[in-house]
Amino acid sequence: MSTFKALLQREYWEHRGAFLKTPLIIGIVMGITLLLIYFFTDRVDLVMNSGQLSELGSKSLSAIDPKNIKLGLDAFMLFTAYIYHFILFIIVFFFLLGSLYDDRKDGSILFWKSLPVSDTQTVLSKLITATIVAPLIFTVGLILSHILIFMLLSGILLLNGINPFSFIWANINFISNWGAFIIGCFIQSLWALPIYGWLLFSSSFSKRRPFLLAIFAPLTVAFAWYWYVAFTNFDVIQAGLFKTILFLFSKAASPFTSGISFSADEIDFDPRDQSGLEVIYSMINGLSNTSLYYGLIFAVIAVAVAIYVRRFRNTT
Amino acid sequence: MSHILSAQNVNKKFGSFQALKNVNINISKGKIVGLIGPNGAGKTTLLKSVLGLDSCEGELKVLGIDPYKKRSDLMKEICFIADVAVLPKWIKVSQLLTFTEQTHPNFSLDQAKQFLSKTKIKMDHKVKELSKGMTAQLHLAIVMSINAKLLVLDEPTLGLDILFRKQFYDNLLNDYFDNERTIIITTHQVEEIEHILTDVVFIREGEIVLNANMDELTNSYFEVMVGQDNYEEALSHKPLTMRKVFGKHIMLFNSTSRDVIETLGEVQRPSVSDLFVALMQEDQA
Repeated sequence: MSTFKALLQREYWEHRGAFLKTPLIIGIVMGITLLLIYFFTDRVDLVMNSGQLSELGSKSLSAIDPKNIKLGLDAFMLFTAYIYHFILFIIVFFFLLGSLYDDRKDGSILFWKSLPVSDTQTVLSKLITATIVAPLIFTVGLILSHILIFMLLSGILLLNGINPFSFIWANINFISNWGAFIIGCFIQSLWALPIYGWLLFSSSFSKRRPFLLAIFAPLTVAFAWYWYVAFTNFDVIQAGLFKTILFLFSKAASPFTSGISFSADEIDFDPRDQSGLEVIYSMINGLSNTSLYYGLIFAVIAVAVAIYVRRFRNTT
Repeated sequence: MSHILSAQNVNKKFGSFQALKNVNINISKGKIVGLIGPNGAGKTTLLKSVLGLDSCEGELKVLGIDPYKKRSDLMKEICFIADVAVLPKWIKVSQLLTFTEQTHPNFSLDQAKQFLSKTKIKMDHKVKELSKGMTAQLHLAIVMSINAKLLVLDEPTLGLDILFRKQFYDNLLNDYFDNERTIIITTHQVEEIEHILTDVVFIREGEIVLNANMDELTNSYFEVMVGQDNYEEALSHKPLTMRKVFGKHIMLFNSTSRDVIETLGEVQRPSVSDLFVALMQEDQA
């Protein structure tokens, strides 16, 4: 077990920049943007209206119904969480694409293989990093970013004589919104597993450019299949490959909407209800979709092949 | 288990190219074996099979274990350096040691730190900040801190300058090797290792052409420096090779009539590289 822990730690050491710094940097950029907007409007207001607008603004803010403040904060937190899910997916995508290729490229694979670590353990450590470790680190990054932004916002409110505790902090649903992000991460991992498996396979198998294999091989097959079906008009397995690929990507990139079906009449979606809890229920309902389980079977096969190839492919 | 490594009829094909042909070899404990052959002879292919990095046909056992099927088990008992530049660039020295300690049951962290304290390598250095020679020192420090029964070195000093190369083999011999351990080395710089070898194996086109003890080898093969007077007579004993130095002929013999030939000139021990060249030519003739 200590071997597996060491493998996960190894991945963290190597990819700390991508996993931890990315969410923090986005949070800091959002915070700076917030400050810039505030100070810019404040200055314009001072010059043009001698500050009347901010006075008016703070008065009208105090008059807002707390229910609407809650709604607004929920929307803000869920929207940032949505963005973070998407970025997490992209980062994990490229992490996996390089995970079984980069060490073959620079030759360090022979060092890793000189240690008593089996190829199965190695490949699984990459998969666990993608599905569990990276999301957890991202969650920490999101929480820190949210806290930073709320603190900056509190500062701005204080400058304008509004009590931030009653205005912001008392109205935040930390648990349901952050909970929605974490659960969303794991539901994202589930939906994305066939993609992750395919990326591991491409990374393990490819001799030159894993990206080309990972992206263009399925697209070429899908393209050929599309025209084959179009010409023969005889859809054997009733599955459009383009549609499947798009379907998987959309579910994997934005888990919050993974509970929503594609056909319009099945949509049960009221944007006004989108609190953290609603999103969680919706995502969990989406798990009953059978496509998810076909995807998992595909993922198991792809990972098994990745391990098999890893045993003898030591170079690029 | 008297043999550390035993291979019976090991074959390896890449497509239609036969990289190893019926390789039979046994290596027992306490030996330092030089595996020597021209480029493309199959040295690396053989070592890859021995290390479980690739499959092969035939019966191959290292410490009684099938290397390809149970590589991770085997790696607890053996270790290898494949090339100097293989340590991952992004990792810190301290992280590398921690990782090795956590994954390797026979690794001693204290010993590695002790080896490193004699070098300029610092714990918070990243591998990419180290020079090629320092990277090799680091790798050797890790490998020497592993209590392994077999150490395999495949061109371990490639690209290093002569000071580092000498130090590398000195460290290996003085601080690491004992009778409980076995080392297999391949290198093109045969002159540098021939004084530490106990056995040599010559490999050519995937076949083992010679597998001998160094003492036997220098007994059966010998060089004689022959002057002009004895030239004709010496030639009649059919030397394997001949070269001319300062007007004298140095002839390499593999002969049972050593007593006779010895009277013809000054006898000297042939270098492994000269022997190698001679044997390669002999087989081609």
